[in-house]
Amino acid sequence: MKENIVIIGGGIAGLEAAGQLIRLGYSPIIVEKQDHLGGHVAEWHCLFPDMTPASDVVSRLTENVSEANIFVNTEILFINHLKDSYNVMLSNGISIVTRIILFTTGFRLFDASKKEEYGYGVYDQVITNRDLEQWFSTGNDDRVNSRELNAVGFVHCVGSRDEKAGNGQCSKVCCITAVKQAIEMKQRFPEAQVYCFYMDLRMFGKKYEDFYISAQRDYGVRFIRGRVSEVSENIEGKVIVKAEDTLAGKPVKVTLDLLVLMAGIVCNPDCTKVASMIPLQMDSDGFLKSRDNIMDITGSSRSGIFYAGACTGAKTVPETLAEARSAALDIHNYITSSRI
Amino acid sequence: MIGMIFILTWCTVGMIRIIANLPKDDRKRFFLSLVNPKIMLKNIRDIFCDCLFHVKLWKRNRLLGYMHSSIAFGWFMLIVIGHIEVFFYAPHRAKLLYFPIFFRYFMAEDDSTMGGAFFFFLMDFFLLVVLSGIALAIVKRVHSRFFGMRRTTNPSFMDLVGLYSLWSIFPLRLFAEGFTADISGGSFLTESLNHVFHAFLGNHMNMLPTWWAYSLALGIFFCALPFTRYMHIPTEILLIPLRNAGVRIRHPRKGYAEAEVYACPSCGVCIDACPMGVMKTHIKDTTVYLNRQLRRHNETRIEEISDKCLLCGKCTAVCPVGVEGDRLRIAQRSARKYNISPDYSCIDTDILKKEASFRAPASGKVLYFAGCMTALTPQIRKSVESVLTRCGTDYEFMDRDGGICCGRPMLMAGRFDAAEEMIAKNTDIILGSGADTLLLSCPICYRIFRENYNLGKMRIVHHTEYFAELIGSGTIGMLHGSDRYVFHDPCELGRGCGIYDEPRAVLSAAGELVEAEKHHRESICCGGSLGSLTLGFGKRQAMTENALHNLTAASPDSIVTACPLCLSTFHRYADRPVMDIAEVVDRNMIPADSNDIDD
Repeated sequence: MKENIVIIGGGIAGLEAAGQLIRLGYSPIIVEKQDHLGGHVAEWHCLFPDMTPASDVVSRLTENVSEANIFVNTEILFINHLKDSYNVMLSNGISIVTRIILFTTGFRLFDASKKEEYGYGVYDQVITNRDLEQWFSTGNDDRVNSRELNAVGFVHCVGSRDEKAGNGQCSKVCCITAVKQAIEMKQRFPEAQVYCFYMDLRMFGKKYEDFYISAQRDYGVRFIRGRVSEVSENIEGKVIVKAEDTLAGKPVKVTLDLLVLMAGIVCNPDCTKVASMIPLQMDSDGFLKSRDNIMDITGSSRSGIFYAGACTGAKTVPETLAEARSAALDIHNYITSSRI
Repeated sequence: MIGMIFILTWCTVGMIRIIANLPKDDRKRFFLSLVNPKIMLKNIRDIFCDCLFHVKLWKRNRLLGYMHSSIAFGWFMLIVIGHIEVFFYAPHRAKLLYFPIFFRYFMAEDDSTMGGAFFFFLMDFFLLVVLSGIALAIVKRVHSRFFGMRRTTNPSFMDLVGLYSLWSIFPLRLFAEGFTADISGGSFLTESLNHVFHAFLGNHMNMLPTWWAYSLALGIFFCALPFTRYMHIPTEILLIPLRNAGVRIRHPRKGYAEAEVYACPSCGVCIDACPMGVMKTHIKDTTVYLNRQLRRHNETRIEEISDKCLLCGKCTAVCPVGVEGDRLRIAQRSARKYNISPDYSCIDTDILKKEASFRAPASGKVLYFAGCMTALTPQIRKSVESVLTRCGTDYEFMDRDGGICCGRPMLMAGRFDAAEEMIAKNTDIILGSGADTLLLSCPICYRIFRENYNLGKMRIVHHTEYFAELIGSGTIGMLHGSDRYVFHDPCELGRGCGIYDEPRAVLSAAGELVEAEKHHRESICCGGSLGSLTLGFGKRQAMTENALHNLTAASPDSIVTACPLCLSTFHRYADRPVMDIAEVVDRNMIPADSNDIDD
């Protein structure tokens, strides 16, 4: 079929949607600004709750799109609105006229240095969830001293549910990610003390609660309810975390060798830029606005524009994949109905 | 004349009001200052400069200055010369207050007044000056942007009464004197007008109604005056000697505070100055409206306005009459009753002293108090410590392991007793350190340490001053880079403590210094101030973005400030690096006597 379908973003949502569209007989075009496919998941080590290696997920998804047109290292320069189609100009000089654009632009991790009191970028022993995943995968990070790792702390909700940080939304996946990363740390350093500082734990998904109980019972991860107030450094180069244990009603002070900040999920600024070219509406949470948040999460207010994945809000991997399939089906229906 | 009775009534009413305004506590001090020749001279000078010439307004805006001083000074001169005239030509009437005002009505030109042509000229000249001022005032009301004011005050009903009667007094006087110019004599303005009138209004029958209208306008103005913003004219004359006597706000409503409230001329200069003004909804929360509500005793609005303010002090800095918008608000907050009051008695200063592990007293020892805001911006603390260490300064860190709040936030909330408790505890710890310099990183702390602490001989410095001294004395050298810096004056450091030159000296040593569109006293609050008790983040964001827009006017590479609160607020929304001045010093410094230290 000749119909052009442009998919903006080669993360898991874009790959899954493209795979489904190929199966339906279309030939989608994926535009990815980075040099690799798979987006954030490609940078992850393994996925909760079954510790599935992230690389397996990405490679399976990539296999399915071998027939698709894929442009990596490519950005959208501009999008022109034609009569009933769009002209998409790419940075590699190619222009595509299409009736259908699928946004799978995903999210961006909150810049943890904006919460300066947590010391990211100030103290060497403070890293983010992403830094830790990369260390899990590569083992290269000077900030992690694996010879002397006796105490590790995780701070939940860094740049999530935080009006001061400019993001009032829950990032949804960080609670369970922290549980997963805490378990992984315990697996590598069984003798280390691992603390999680949380506001409240949102264990909403399949098997999440079991995973959390197991972190406590089987691995001995300590969960402290209370936000971290400040982080400082002592003379030996260790970080000192001050927090309030709101269950005990007492202030706590813990000395750590490594502090991991669970940076939250915010809308990708590149997505906002591309959306403004059409233009598409943004919802009050800062993400793209769906036609209907219950009945039509993958539809936009403009005909021919579809969404899938974290461009409309924080989502887990299975949720993103399900949405991508749903968007592919929506696109198929859109094409067939307009043909009649 | 009926107008005269009004004026006399007003005089009595006004006098009683002014006497009632006198503060009880400071009355003695005030009376003593009145007989002190030095303060007396200052009083006279200030009254002339501020009330008549409006020097402060001239400095801000020439057109506005001319408008106000032409009306005030012109009118003043009309009265003075009027009295001189009476004194010369009708000495037996000189005791009658109303006589000079209606001089032209009573006097007929004869041989004895012919010699008054000089005074007639002066009278006409000043009348023209006043009329030009009134004309400008009318233009301003219609089109305030012409005067460089984006917004002007929305007058209340009584203000309008006063305004229109004031506007009509002088044209009516012109007409009245014009009609009688051929009888009583006149000069270039009134004489020529007289000829015009004669051309189509042949007789003197119109003379009486215009004089009546003139006296009526005058009567209405003076009668309405106590209830309008024009009350600032007599009040300011009282406020100036009070201020010079060292009287300050002690009570939220009575005494000096009341004098300030009534001295507010409702000029609206504070509306454009207010950082909250970026949103139209906050216009009515500015100092001019606080004063209006205070006059009306509208408690709900007073509370709302007082709590919302960021206490940046800019309205105080720009106010032509010296109304202290920030202190007035703090005074209103102090009147609030709380059900729960904090108890700090359980804080043991001995434990804190032990934790700080002070060494023996030594001369030249520096005690560093970072403060709680700096604890949230570790980069500042790290940089200051790094500079101190590399200079080889003998220092101790008072609150490395936690300390007590300086008390300023409580002071700003009007909770003076709680603040006093913290001040006492901190004083105890600081005096126990044996240091002779107290170094601070947070201007919020710095201000309360300077204003409310009594630390004996101990020197209190903010790190901007300290670094400027180190650079000035050659203790540290600075690598001059090509970076363009803009300095944001934090409210508490700039307007609060008057530190403007030191940070600029430091930045000029490190790179190229550019200025923001509004700087020094006019600097715009970052929006993060803990002065406001009720403003939410959404509203503050607009203010921060406006302040950033102001700072980046000269497109600097980075924004530098000297306050941890400004730093974290700007960091949230800035499109370029935001740094504390300590970071700049730490990055660019070359210790003078130690070339072996590699950076």
